[in-house]
Amino acid sequence: MFRKLKGPVLFLLMFLDVQIIVGSTPICVHGHTGCQALSLADLFDRVIQHSARVHGLSSDLHSDFDQYFLPSKINRNCHTSYILTPNGKENAQRLAGEDLAGVILKLLLAWRDPLSQFHRSMAQHEDFTSFSGNKALEMSDMVQQLRLGVERVAETMHLLGMISNSVRGLISKEALGSQASGSEARSMTDQQLLYCFRRDSHKIQIYLKILKCRIAPEQGC
Amino acid sequence: MMRGATGASLVLSLLISRLLGAACQSPPGKPKLTSCRSPEKETFSCWWEPGSNGGLPTNYSLYYRKENSEIVYECSDYHTSGRNSCFFSKNDTSIWVNYNITVVASNSLGSNFSDSVDVDVMYIVQPHTPENVSVVLEGTEDNPFLLVTWEPPHKADTRSGWITLVYQLRVKLEKDDKWEEHFAGQQKQFNIFSLHSGEVYMVKVRCKPDHGFWSEWSTVRYVRVPDYISREMSGWILILTFSALICIVFVWTAHMKRNSVKHFLLPPVPGPKIKGFDTQQLKSGKSDEIFSTLVAQSFPPPSDYEDLLVEYLEVYDNEEQELVFDRKDQEGSLKSKSSSDTDSGRGSCDSHSLLMEKCSESREDQTLTSQVKNSEASRRGNDGSHAGECADVTTQTWPTISPYYHHDQKPCYQSIPEMSEQHGVLDSHLFLTQQQDYWETSAELDQKNPYIGYSCVQAYSEMTINGVAHTEATGPQPGFVEYVEVQHVKQENTLILKPIAQEEHGHFRREMTEHHYSKVNGMVSDNVLLVQRETASQCLSDHQEEENGLENCTQQMAGKSTVHPQVVLAQEGLHITLNGYVDTAAIMSTY
Repeated sequence: MFRKLKGPVLFLLMFLDVQIIVGSTPICVHGHTGCQALSLADLFDRVIQHSARVHGLSSDLHSDFDQYFLPSKINRNCHTSYILTPNGKENAQRLAGEDLAGVILKLLLAWRDPLSQFHRSMAQHEDFTSFSGNKALEMSDMVQQLRLGVERVAETMHLLGMISNSVRGLISKEALGSQASGSEARSMTDQQLLYCFRRDSHKIQIYLKILKCRIAPEQGC
Repeated sequence: MMRGATGASLVLSLLISRLLGAACQSPPGKPKLTSCRSPEKETFSCWWEPGSNGGLPTNYSLYYRKENSEIVYECSDYHTSGRNSCFFSKNDTSIWVNYNITVVASNSLGSNFSDSVDVDVMYIVQPHTPENVSVVLEGTEDNPFLLVTWEPPHKADTRSGWITLVYQLRVKLEKDDKWEEHFAGQQKQFNIFSLHSGEVYMVKVRCKPDHGFWSEWSTVRYVRVPDYISREMSGWILILTFSALICIVFVWTAHMKRNSVKHFLLPPVPGPKIKGFDTQQLKSGKSDEIFSTLVAQSFPPPSDYEDLLVEYLEVYDNEEQELVFDRKDQEGSLKSKSSSDTDSGRGSCDSHSLLMEKCSESREDQTLTSQVKNSEASRRGNDGSHAGECADVTTQTWPTISPYYHHDQKPCYQSIPEMSEQHGVLDSHLFLTQQQDYWETSAELDQKNPYIGYSCVQAYSEMTINGVAHTEATGPQPGFVEYVEVQHVKQENTLILKPIAQEEHGHFRREMTEHHYSKVNGMVSDNVLLVQRETASQCLSDHQEEENGLENCTQQMAGKSTVHPQVVLAQEGLHITLNGYVDTAAIMSTY
């Protein structure tokens, strides 16, 4: 009997939420009265800016590395290969918002440890200037920030009812995955790491843009 | 024979050419991949450059491998992108996948592989040019602006967020060479302000993905701005007119007041001024008037000789002129005028500026002179204030002539020049004979006794009241020398002289024992002493100009005066000797 009611109930709920779905209504996620009200569009803008910055840093570091090291035979097997990511526009558009958010979070989580490891190894490198070292540190920090931002976005989306699964559900699945690829991540060379991360940061940026233009298409879409 | 040879050579050449033609054929040269581009990140194309074809028809084919896969694919579309190209459709394109592409050239003789190229589509995006670029003149009549709008290339999917494009504008006037660049970001419109009226503008737009290559420029759009005079221009015109008016007013005022401006900028040099003397009158040349002005000073002069500012009296004879001058140099403190001397109030012998310091007098002299003074005072009926003149005189910086310093030394005298003998007139010229040694010794003594009544007359200026100089009128009169003693100083410009009797100069005239006084009226620069004979008659006023006529005020004593001024020139009132002093006789003659 409840199953029969599920459809209409959901329909009613959607009706109720329809005003909020637009995305421009300010939301305070944690329920604090004093918190700064941010719309979903603003949240998206922020995370997209973050991701653009991360990708810029990874590109710079990659080109720096190319100057110092001869381009060796790069093993293009990145440790994030197990994560299924859409490789085309149609594929990405076909993916549901939830899945897309999930992919983003998976990627960000998978890169947390390797990046901090990379930063530490950069500090020991004598060939590099401190400028490159600073970039690596900044990159590592920003990825953390980005991950937190995307989690916030996902939470907001979840509150809005756009996604059914909460962030915790998404993360818990990936926790196992990251452990599995941990050994693989450690065996990467710096050059390979940068090559892989440059690509993955670009993926993150594109996926976020797609998500934003799908959900809050006010500006820039 | 010859024909045979030529024929054989012909055949040989034909064969060789054939063989060579056949040898030109070879496997193809190595092709080269020039570029791969994706316009919208969904498809892409690659172009290559063929090598030599080896003389045979050559076939080009492109093969590619995807990342982490060993499957080799061949390009399926060689025509869409033009000659020597390969077009990868949507189905064949994967983003974030590395393609390894190789081109193979093959002909019947062989094949040649190009170098492999790794391509990742995300990095080779170059969009098409922006579309529907339009430029419209907007805004008000006096404040127009250009509104430029465009659209992204139709293939690039910016709506879904798959590709993000940024735009760039270029604007210029039609007549200019250089383009003005503007960055428009992600917006699809742009405003251009500050337009030149009556000009034609050219605008073009291009775009770029956030990571990729710039597109080609769009077609140029032209727009014409109509003519108008801006508010700014009219404001400037007003300001210019106003400032021009102000300038005109200023110039006119300056012109009207040009004299005062000239005085302000170039102040006139003040000429010398003499009290009581009128240069204009002098220029007019009327002698009567001149003398009347000169004789403005009253006589007898007031007796408070405290006010007398000392002027140095320098008397010397011709031979010792150099010595005197040397003396001057040694002292280095000679003055012709000391009307505002800082030693006033000090003893005359104390003054630095006086040679008189060097002359000192013993106390005995003081008593003697005081006696003389007293007699004179009684004679002249002066008040008793003269009694203490000795001490008073010392306060003056007026060099007084000491009658004698030591018995064995020749005192300083004012010697009346010889001319007076001839004319029987009291010659009021003062002639002071000095000897070098006298000065020296007197200098020593002067230092010891600063406050002495009389001092030697200082050889400051050429008090060359020297009758010798009157060559024209009187001629030198050697041999006769009259001496007067400067008793004291009255006022600031009066030197009371008194003739003294000398045993050694027995031939002195009797008249010398009498008291005849000539009052020195003033000093003229360095070489003239103005002497005024103390008589009841008027004296000429001082004249302190060097070059002009020096006036002497000479007066006949009421009593018996044997010192007569020399008459030099009867007609003229003034006469300047070569040495620069005035013959008082000349003046006297006019009275």
